[in-house]
Amino acid sequence: MFAYIIRRIFAAVILLLVVSAVTFAIFFLLPRFAGETADQLAAQYIGKNPSPEAIAAVKQNLGLDQPLYAQYWNFLKGLVSGAEYKFGPEPATCHVPCFGYSFKNHLEVWPELSKRIPITVSLAAGAAVLWLVSGVATGVVSALKPRSIFDRISMGVALAGVSLPVFFTGALLLTLFSYEWPILDNLQYVDFTDNPLMWARNLILPWISLAFLYSALYARLTRAGMLETMSEDYIRTARAKGLVERKVVTRHGLRAALTPIVTIFGMDLGLLLGGALITEQVFSLQGVGQFAVQAISDNDLPKILGVTLLAAFFIVACNLVVDLLYALVDPRVRLS
Amino acid sequence: MTASVTTAGNEPEAAAPDGPAKKIEGRSLGQIAWTRFKRDKAAVAGGVVVILLILLAVLAKPIESLFGLDPDALHQDLLDANLGGLPLGDWGGMSLDHPLGVDPLQGRDLLTRVIEGSWVSLLVAFGATLLSNTIGTVLGIMAGYYGGWVDTLISRVMDVFLAFPLLLFAIAISTSLQGGAFGLHGLPLHMMVLIFVIGFFNWPYMGRIVRGQTLSLREREFVHAARSLGARGPFILFKELLPNLVGPILVYSTLLIPTNILFEAGLSFLGVGIQPPQASWGGMLQDAIRYYQVDPQYMVVPGLAIFITVLAFNLLGDGLRDALDPKSN
Amino acid sequence: MRRSRTVALTAMAAAAVLVVTGCSSSSKSGDSSSSSAAGAGADAATKNIVNASDKKGGTVTFEMKGTPDSLDPGNTYYAYIYNFSRLYARPLTTFNPAAGEDGNKLVPDLAESMGQPSADGLSWTYKLRKGLKYDDGTPITSKDVKYAVERSNFAPDVNSNGPTYFHDLLVDNPTPYAGPYKDKEGDLKSIETPDDTTIVFHLQHPFADFDYLVSAPQTAPVPQAKDTGADYVKHIVSSGSFKFESYEDGKQATLVPNTNWDKSTDPIRKQLPDKIQLKMNIDQATIDKDLLAGNAQVDLVGGGVDPQTQAQILQNPKLKAKTDNAYGGRLVYLAINSKVAPFDNVECRKAVQFAIDKVSVQTAEGGPIRGQIANTVLPPDIPGHQDFNLYETKDNKGDEAKAKDALKACGKDGINTVLSARTERATEVAAATSIQAALKKVGINAEIQQYPQGKYLTDSAGAPQFTQDHNIGLMMMQWGADWPTGYGFLQQVVDGRAIKASGNSNLSQLNDPSVNKLIDDAAVNPDKAAREKIYGDIDKKVMEQAVIVPLTYFKVFLYRPDSATNLASTPAFSGEYDYLNIGSAK
Repeated sequence: MFAYIIRRIFAAVILLLVVSAVTFAIFFLLPRFAGETADQLAAQYIGKNPSPEAIAAVKQNLGLDQPLYAQYWNFLKGLVSGAEYKFGPEPATCHVPCFGYSFKNHLEVWPELSKRIPITVSLAAGAAVLWLVSGVATGVVSALKPRSIFDRISMGVALAGVSLPVFFTGALLLTLFSYEWPILDNLQYVDFTDNPLMWARNLILPWISLAFLYSALYARLTRAGMLETMSEDYIRTARAKGLVERKVVTRHGLRAALTPIVTIFGMDLGLLLGGALITEQVFSLQGVGQFAVQAISDNDLPKILGVTLLAAFFIVACNLVVDLLYALVDPRVRLS
Repeated sequence: MTASVTTAGNEPEAAAPDGPAKKIEGRSLGQIAWTRFKRDKAAVAGGVVVILLILLAVLAKPIESLFGLDPDALHQDLLDANLGGLPLGDWGGMSLDHPLGVDPLQGRDLLTRVIEGSWVSLLVAFGATLLSNTIGTVLGIMAGYYGGWVDTLISRVMDVFLAFPLLLFAIAISTSLQGGAFGLHGLPLHMMVLIFVIGFFNWPYMGRIVRGQTLSLREREFVHAARSLGARGPFILFKELLPNLVGPILVYSTLLIPTNILFEAGLSFLGVGIQPPQASWGGMLQDAIRYYQVDPQYMVVPGLAIFITVLAFNLLGDGLRDALDPKSN
Repeated sequence: MRRSRTVALTAMAAAAVLVVTGCSSSSKSGDSSSSSAAGAGADAATKNIVNASDKKGGTVTFEMKGTPDSLDPGNTYYAYIYNFSRLYARPLTTFNPAAGEDGNKLVPDLAESMGQPSADGLSWTYKLRKGLKYDDGTPITSKDVKYAVERSNFAPDVNSNGPTYFHDLLVDNPTPYAGPYKDKEGDLKSIETPDDTTIVFHLQHPFADFDYLVSAPQTAPVPQAKDTGADYVKHIVSSGSFKFESYEDGKQATLVPNTNWDKSTDPIRKQLPDKIQLKMNIDQATIDKDLLAGNAQVDLVGGGVDPQTQAQILQNPKLKAKTDNAYGGRLVYLAINSKVAPFDNVECRKAVQFAIDKVSVQTAEGGPIRGQIANTVLPPDIPGHQDFNLYETKDNKGDEAKAKDALKACGKDGINTVLSARTERATEVAAATSIQAALKKVGINAEIQQYPQGKYLTDSAGAPQFTQDHNIGLMMMQWGADWPTGYGFLQQVVDGRAIKASGNSNLSQLNDPSVNKLIDDAAVNPDKAAREKIYGDIDKKVMEQAVIVPLTYFKVFLYRPDSATNLASTPAFSGEYDYLNIGSAK
């Protein structure tokens, strides 16, 4: 078991390295596709009337004149051991993990980025709880009574749910509950530690709009999975043994049906933690996603790189956790 | 994968009252599937809507010129300039001339813009689906058939792709290429970039499905037979295996198209997809959301267009899957 | 051009461009002697200080959408930070905190009087007031002013946001000065500080507007020992009536009264509230609600209410009475590229002048609230503005016949060209669409091309070679002055010598010797009235060349909360309220 965990973590780290290298290469090459030289890149960080000397200084300071692999190596070094840049009388220290300095305001990327994480985590976690509970419950009930009224209605709603763009649902909710009947107006993110009630109140609409989409998906998945497992032989055996139906469903049916759901849940949650861009945009939540959108529109490469890697990290980490959980539950996995 | 709303496809074959005097004859898999599909009313409805939408998209330009509709024509006389350019009247400027109303600031006809937006949305979605399915199918078959290091390599590449935050990449790439690249600019560039980012980063999903199917197919008798008759790799791949994969690919494509429509709309909504004045559904929503309190009707028009389209494709996809693979239900 | 509003646009950037702030009417002011309460009503604060009061105490809350480029006075280029920074950073001169034209008046701030130019106009001397202190009690010296100019103008790789007028105007060292961070021992020889209260600037050529130039926050003193470069923003040393109590990047800043600030050294500041809060990254709709509810006193950016809040306010006479619709010192215009055929021919340019339906453009920009139809380059709130119209059309709706005549005179039946606009600005794109439709009627086919605003002036519209290569004959543009004089407004947009290979703002690439000469004349003319007349003449000459199609004089739409005192919309800061003396009425 221990060896398995080590192996998985090692693989995840390798994956992250590869992702970061590719990301780095893409953002290194992309401006060049659009026809920008290192000089033009450097000039963007200087403002009015960039002089050749200033450009040279920036290029040297940020290492823009070095080849790709050297820049990547410096970046990795900065991540684990910090770096130094000259943006003032004394060299400024970029602390570990150093994602570099924002070109726009010359601030360290990581402190700015990490401030956004709690917002996105609140959004993603709250929505995840909502959609898991409602989605799985709906799916199970539907599967147990296929073609019942409940099944038909809930699956109809679910289909509508997966067909609605989240920015439309969000805007609709805003119109209704923040404007027409202003029971939830002045939605402003409040830290959970400051005031848990306000935190929940102000996030409930974003949660619902996200959860609506996902719970629809999960309800459909759960229902399909349940229908399949409930027709398996071992369920018949369990019933034949005289097991109570409730136990048949929970202990044998649900457990098997949930396995693929957990995999997908890991992926979805990982993706969301890297920034629920559209939901954050609609509800003006200053989370990781808005950070990314802002960084991209500013063309602030270090910030873009930082937020992309953070997002990749969440995806890989969530998948890793799911894998390890499997191994814990199902010994067969460890052997494969 | 997912279950359909309707369960018609699940009914036992024997129960099908196909008429008493039905002659017994051999039916191909395709025919059986078609019979099953026809019984699924929701899927048929979805299919009909999809066909209508495709017709609309293909004929959008001719329709516009036939009725003299111009998606970019201004009707600013229908706006209240003193209110900041909002449409006059209660329902976003709805009238006989403009059944869905007009947009703020410019007074452009929303119905015409929705029609115009249809071909953009569908073309991007189809293009992206085609791209990701082509890459996914070719690499998926190769991974599944050859196994060994080929499989390992392709599977690892898929892992890397799946670890990328797709939306972020899409935005970053679209933004940096917006001004012009590869000798293109304007609408063709935006559409190409959208097709590329959506299609290129989505292929591993298709790749995984095809790989799995190939794995189970390659040990089947007809493949062994072909191999023992001396058929070479490429022949087996594309003449023997591919035809048997058409079903899953078709189903998955139908389900991928609506996802891609939403994706395109999302990017345009974030301002990095199709650029105005070109009409697109996501772009209209982006614009409309600025007026959601005072002109909510504007938001509803493109929102419903997206909803109906995506719903229709989902219904069709579900129906196709049930028809082709009854066990999945 | 000082960037004045719609900062920090997100990718979707609505480009909503109005303004809201304050409100008054039921003046609770203790000091009703001034004209204040009497005239409250729509646009009251564009004429007088509304809710004038000396009441102390309370909290004044500023809210803003997005974040500023920097609160560091030496590293900013936004009008609202120029305005706001004066609370904690005193420049040599500043603008009189008053409404309307009075607000355009320059007054000495850190200096005891306006600058003394030498006879040849090549050096300017300022005397600092006596007894000036920082918030830590240490004295402010002229060396700190000199240092502030050096760090803000000669270290563009560290303090990159601000303009570099001093860099361009002051005499450089024999070996170019590398700035205080790289050259720690040296200094800029052309700024002399013979004693602790005197500072002398030596210029390359005479410059009549120098007093305006030193009103920039770049002359606010910074003690060299406390300067940490890009990190200085985290602990700014205050020379003004308020000092930083806390600063959290991208989130908020809190200012409290500076106890070392001495009223006797400062005739214009009042130090009214107990606390000034600046909240960043607030959604515009929330700011609007907070203003209406009195939870916030000022929208810092002055970028305007949501279009929907605007519609609600306009429909409610009671709310509308608490608004100010002022000029923002900006021109919204279409630049015609005189270097791209066939617009190198003045007749073809005239065809465009006549063809455009300015009413349609105005509606697309958001109606009369957002801008008044323009026919001159200088906006009405810039001294020297004269009313005239060389290309009259009926109701400003364009004249197809005259346009076609001009086109014929140019020897063309039709023209194919490209019209550029900025992607993030929805109203600019909408206006471009209006122009496209009007031009089409006379046979000019303009294809709209959009470019990201971050690169608009550096890589596309502002790069002459690029416009040549891409046949960009027409360009959407907005321009606001860095300081409210004809020179500050015109020089960068019509002076032929201001044309640059990148970052060009003379988009028309007008290089008319007679215009250039008039600009030089004005720069050295010590007489204000004579200068203003020249600016009017330049305006006419430019319009004769037809290289700029004025579309609208940009207007702001501010909401005045009852909870704020001393509100005056000033043209010196793009129509924003003057932020120096706003107090809390509560």
